[in-house]
Amino acid sequence: MSQDITHDEVAHDHHDHDHKPKGFVKRWLMTTNHKDIGTLYLVFALAMFMVGGAMAMIIRLELFQPGLQFVEPAFFNQMTTMHALVMIFGAVMPAFVGLANWMIPMMIGAPDMALPRMNNWSFWILPFAFTMLLATLFMPGGAPAGGWTMYPPLVLQGGHNVGFLVFAVHMMGISSIMGAINVIATIMNMRAPNLGYLNMPLFVWTWLITAFLLIAVMPVLAGAVTMILTDRYFDTSFFNAAGGGDPVLFQHIFWFFGHPEVYIMILPAFGIISEIIPTFARKPLFGYVSMVYATAAIAFLSFIVWAHHMFSVGMPLGGSLYFMYATMMIAVPTGVKIFNWVGTMWRGSMTFETPMLFSLAFVVLFTIGGFSGVMMALAPVDLQYHDTYFIVAHFHYVLVTGAVYAIIAGAYYWLPKWSGHMYNERLGKIHFWWSTISVNVLFFPQHFLGLAGMPRRIPDYSTQFAEFNMMSSIGGFAFGLAQVLFVYIVWKTVRGGEKATAQVWEGAKGLEWTVPSPAPHHTFSEFGPVDLSKLANGEKFSILSDIDEKDDKQK
Amino acid sequence: MSEASNDQYYVPHLAKWPIVGSIGLFVTFMGAIQALNSQTSITPWLMFVGIGIILWMMFGWFGDVIKESEEKLYSTQVDTSFRMGMIWFIFSEVMFFAAFFGALFYARTFSVPWLGGEGIGLATNETLWSGYEGVWPTNGPADLNGRFEIIDPYHLPLVNTLLLLASSVTITIAHHALRANNRKQTIIWLIATVLLGAVFIFFQAEEYVLAYRDFNLKLSSGIYGSTFFMLTGFHGLHVTLGAIMIAIITIRVIKGHFRPESHFGFEAVAWYWHFVDVVWLGLFIFVYIL
Amino acid sequence: MKYLIIVIFLFIVFSLGSAMFYLVKGKGQSQNTVRFLTVRVAVSVLLFLFIIFAAYMGWIEPNRPSFLQPN
Repeated sequence: MSQDITHDEVAHDHHDHDHKPKGFVKRWLMTTNHKDIGTLYLVFALAMFMVGGAMAMIIRLELFQPGLQFVEPAFFNQMTTMHALVMIFGAVMPAFVGLANWMIPMMIGAPDMALPRMNNWSFWILPFAFTMLLATLFMPGGAPAGGWTMYPPLVLQGGHNVGFLVFAVHMMGISSIMGAINVIATIMNMRAPNLGYLNMPLFVWTWLITAFLLIAVMPVLAGAVTMILTDRYFDTSFFNAAGGGDPVLFQHIFWFFGHPEVYIMILPAFGIISEIIPTFARKPLFGYVSMVYATAAIAFLSFIVWAHHMFSVGMPLGGSLYFMYATMMIAVPTGVKIFNWVGTMWRGSMTFETPMLFSLAFVVLFTIGGFSGVMMALAPVDLQYHDTYFIVAHFHYVLVTGAVYAIIAGAYYWLPKWSGHMYNERLGKIHFWWSTISVNVLFFPQHFLGLAGMPRRIPDYSTQFAEFNMMSSIGGFAFGLAQVLFVYIVWKTVRGGEKATAQVWEGAKGLEWTVPSPAPHHTFSEFGPVDLSKLANGEKFSILSDIDEKDDKQK
Repeated sequence: MSEASNDQYYVPHLAKWPIVGSIGLFVTFMGAIQALNSQTSITPWLMFVGIGIILWMMFGWFGDVIKESEEKLYSTQVDTSFRMGMIWFIFSEVMFFAAFFGALFYARTFSVPWLGGEGIGLATNETLWSGYEGVWPTNGPADLNGRFEIIDPYHLPLVNTLLLLASSVTITIAHHALRANNRKQTIIWLIATVLLGAVFIFFQAEEYVLAYRDFNLKLSSGIYGSTFFMLTGFHGLHVTLGAIMIAIITIRVIKGHFRPESHFGFEAVAWYWHFVDVVWLGLFIFVYIL
Repeated sequence: MKYLIIVIFLFIVFSLGSAMFYLVKGKGQSQNTVRFLTVRVAVSVLLFLFIIFAAYMGWIEPNRPSFLQPN
């Protein structure tokens, strides 16, 4: 009898836990659930990826042949500016926050994010911010066209769009800061009782460090654009030499934000890759602790190297030398990471499912982007590379085949857990090979264009650059089409398909694989100790977490 | 189950305020843009509507949180999340001010001396701004907005420093009183803090009037005017917000919301006040004195 | 003299930061939070008195626009 009641209660409870609010407004607009908010972020990021991608197609179309073919130069400039803003703030950053929302609570055994209401607000600011930014495209005078870096005095000539640009950036900043605060509070406060810092999956670690970077630099960007606003509308002289200011001041403040920003866009990617490679190499991550320290070192160095974006703007010799050497130091912890990924694969029994293929491509192609980065760190030769297609090739190698590839790899890796269905492996492999070949056709020739002296952000060019530009454009169109296939694969997987098991991948370790697929609406209703042997690095460092616990008890 | 509920991490359902807040932000910024971009000076009524929506959101949102707190839905772990949220929010504010302090230091140590011909600025000075000395405080080589006089640090700013320092002492006394469960003392010292803050804001406004009317020191007075008004202006805004928050906390103390062992709302606001006070010290030292 | 004032200011910022750290660590019950706070307020008051004294003794000069500087 009593057993029956218990059973009933359990069944009822279980039903309750999976209870999703009914109706669009309640389910999505008013949600506090980390999985729903994660989904919102990811869908938003995918939509923005397509919008930004469409802009890239216009850019490549115009550059297909020399001469002005399809668009006005002014519109071309709007495209380069908006493509960057949309991809950085609309696609890559929200995608990472979406992954953090979905995965971090599941990875650390938490019932939800630490501040669920604020989590909702972090997301719902974004659609409004991008409405504001994208609306400028349809206004007289058009969208911002002075480059995403918003350098004065050029940006100040933007007419009516300056206010939209500044306030849109403010809103994105508010959203990012609240998202980062939530991630920090979740990771530091909501871990399962016996989960020490050095038991955490590396994705959680990299996001913790990324969140610190976000909180430290997004307000600085807000300050910089506020100065743009007052210079434009209130006659201040921050960036006006006639009043004692300096346009270069903006570049210093902007890149003090901008350099940590590039690590904000790559550290979570490192985390994703560090989850995927051990799974498909069927070995624990090689050098876990060194990975953690390397991440922290990269984050620290990111604050003291910003002026390497400004070698050609003129600064005292000592400054150039310092920023050159400091920048080259970043190659050391990054090298540690590449080394550890290769070490993880060494003698592993590897299989090559789609997430693994994207991860392997990440390791190889991100390294190419890293090498061109070291080349540009050299102050004397940077004067040659600066503002050419070489830099365009560099940052697209680290952002497209780096950040975007990691996001796609993560999407394939966790999609079965989110949707409960396996994606079509055959289509996934087609997507991978098509993307990887086309992305290299797209960006590799741009190295040559840059070395030959083709400037960036220019709609027309000398005929000597024609062949490589055409090649690059063909690669661009092919890569764009490949991402439509990706949307189709995701759509199809969400709608149905082969049922996924809880484990999904044979070699996968981590708490997220201990819950059923699709993950129930509420994963862990309360905090309980977790089985550390289910973690990739749990058992190895359980001694350390014991010490942590003893410390806590002593206090 | 009901006994254990206090140990569970409270996850609210169906949050209606965030979307209201998003709409409020959107309307506020659109209203601001409308006013900024208009050719004639207009009343930014749309912005005020937006600010109204944001205030409505804050009352609703904080009201919900206070209600849940009074219903004892929050465990100590939830409390820790709030604490972390608050200190990292304050840290982000510190970084926002750091951007403006950075601009001030850059102007004073680099751009102004360079314009005056120091170091790498020699040719620039000779060819473009011949005769400009580059001494702080300055409205730049073009003498933007004409000659100006600056605020004497040993009059109003000195009094203001005393006021804010005194207010941080009074709020600390209030904090001790709250911990000793002495509600009357707490209320008295909190009211004293709000009053000191209000007088500070009044003097700050007085100082702006003085600067604009008598000293010809304006936002458009070159880099000195820019940094002076932006730094003190943003600080004044934060003092205003802090004073409003302390006033609300005082009402909550009168209503008997806080307990000696649990008063995060009070601590968060006290924290904010300490942050505002230290920023002022930085302003007093780097903007007014040195 | 300027540098002394800057160093003391940095110390105030540091004690504020430390108190913040203990605010989370000690969950409000810790004596450390109150101690650093008291240090913070006390040093601020001392710095203030010192600035007044230094100005009185003529160790530091207030800013003046160059065209108003007595020659």
